[in-house]
Amino acid sequence: MVDVSRVQKELTECNRDREVSGVSIALHDGSTISHLTGTIAGPLGTPYEGGTFVIDIRLPGGYPFEPPKMQFITKVWHPNISSQNGAICLDILKDQWSPALTLKTALLSLQALLSAPAPDDPQDAVVAQQYLRDYSTFSATARYWTEAFAKSSSTGMEEKVQKLVEMGFPEDMVRSILKSVNGDENMALEKLCSG
Amino acid sequence: MGYDTMAHDASSPSAARDAKKKRGNRSAKLKQSKLDVRREQWLSQVKDGKEVKAVVSPGAAAGANSGSPILASPHPPLPRRRAEIRTREGEPEDYKEDSVGASQDVGSSDHESPLHSPVSYNPSVACLQQKHCSGNGGGRSFSSGSSAWSSSRSVTDSDDDTGGSPENDDDGVLDDWEAVADALSVDDNHNHQDPVPAAPPVVPASCPEPANAATRQGPIKSSTRAWSPDDAFRPQSLPSLSKQASFPASMGNCWVAMGIASAQKGVPSKPISCPICYEDLDPTDSSFLPCPCGFHLCLFCHKRILEADGRCPACRKQYISASSGGETVGSEREIGNLRLSHITGLMFQAAHQLKPRVL
Repeated sequence: MVDVSRVQKELTECNRDREVSGVSIALHDGSTISHLTGTIAGPLGTPYEGGTFVIDIRLPGGYPFEPPKMQFITKVWHPNISSQNGAICLDILKDQWSPALTLKTALLSLQALLSAPAPDDPQDAVVAQQYLRDYSTFSATARYWTEAFAKSSSTGMEEKVQKLVEMGFPEDMVRSILKSVNGDENMALEKLCSG
Repeated sequence: MGYDTMAHDASSPSAARDAKKKRGNRSAKLKQSKLDVRREQWLSQVKDGKEVKAVVSPGAAAGANSGSPILASPHPPLPRRRAEIRTREGEPEDYKEDSVGASQDVGSSDHESPLHSPVSYNPSVACLQQKHCSGNGGGRSFSSGSSAWSSSRSVTDSDDDTGGSPENDDDGVLDDWEAVADALSVDDNHNHQDPVPAAPPVVPASCPEPANAATRQGPIKSSTRAWSPDDAFRPQSLPSLSKQASFPASMGNCWVAMGIASAQKGVPSKPISCPICYEDLDPTDSSFLPCPCGFHLCLFCHKRILEADGRCPACRKQYISASSGGETVGSEREIGNLRLSHITGLMFQAAHQLKPRVL
């Protein structure tokens, strides 16, 4: 079973200096402590600057002796993060996990990963290729994705929901579809129309 | 006067000194001797046990009156209080008037009146001696006598005014107290002066303030508080108050800074709680060091880790189990590797905890 007291302390400690560290953790739905949502601020001076990246965190029963399962919800263009499903390739989330690490340090590690990609050990081969061969294109794409997903999805979600609801779609369906397409308004509209 | 010399012999030098001062007002001494006799009567009444000797005393008094030097010689340095008594009895007029009282007095003085009786013939000397007695506080019994004296004196205050000797006697007492007070004040001065230079070394101590304040305030009556920084009379050897105040604080800051520094360096400081389960470490856990890297954790978490991969959470190196730690060379090599991996682990952690910079 998850060490509840430790996780609660971790949440308190992490959120104490969220403005400074740029990372925060919240319960995903409040029902269970093993499902959390983390957010990290895009590192300054990178294509991810200004974006807020949401990460789904699931704590296994063996936590903290087993690593937390982390996945980007926000779409990211990064060699070590799947552009399809947000899976993360980071050793400390796998075999190099240590119980001395915490959710906060793990999120900080993800933040560091955003600013220091490792294309030689890629999660997304296409992105890694682009990063190595055409960095400017990679940078532009990453910046665009940040603008498109890491900013609007968090800030403009309610506006999109309201817009689609005004079109006559039920609100709960709009929300679920928007979430599934990571806040892409056009794709959501397409799905709503087709579905 | 042969008796004079005797008296000088018997009396201490200080008595002789006093004698020179007081010589002159004999009439006063006569009065005083009368008073003394009365006082001795008081005293003898108080001392029942000595009454018995009072019976014997007449003879002694006679001897004293005769002033035979032979008697005196056996006990040359007799207590001065006796001398005083003798004085009274020795004084001719006094003796006539209060012969009984005098003899009683002599008796009451229990030990020896005879010797001093010679002295008594010289009123001045007697007076001196008396003064001497009172001044030096030759004996406890005498001090009680002096109190009696003072009580009688209060009755006969007018006499005292004219008589220099009673005053002298009184002065003697006062002098004595003054001397004591002087001695005390000297001591105080010593105490006062000593601590001042000594203060600087004391100051760094954990709580120097109270002690310093006490030593300062005690002797120096004028200033009841500590030296102010701008005090003109403030000894220069005193450290500045700001320094005093800042020193412990700076020490504290120093320690805090060291703690922070050690934390930043990744030097493992003793944690209060287990860094894995966040539960408080008990003494057993605190002294439990399973890994050479010095990472503390509780026994429960250690056991749990051993059940899994068995690597130290801090340095990620395999814990050296008791069974596998037999070979010295191997373990040494392992420790070396541990250190290396520990360092790399720390670097890794530090790198990941650092905020990302411009690419």
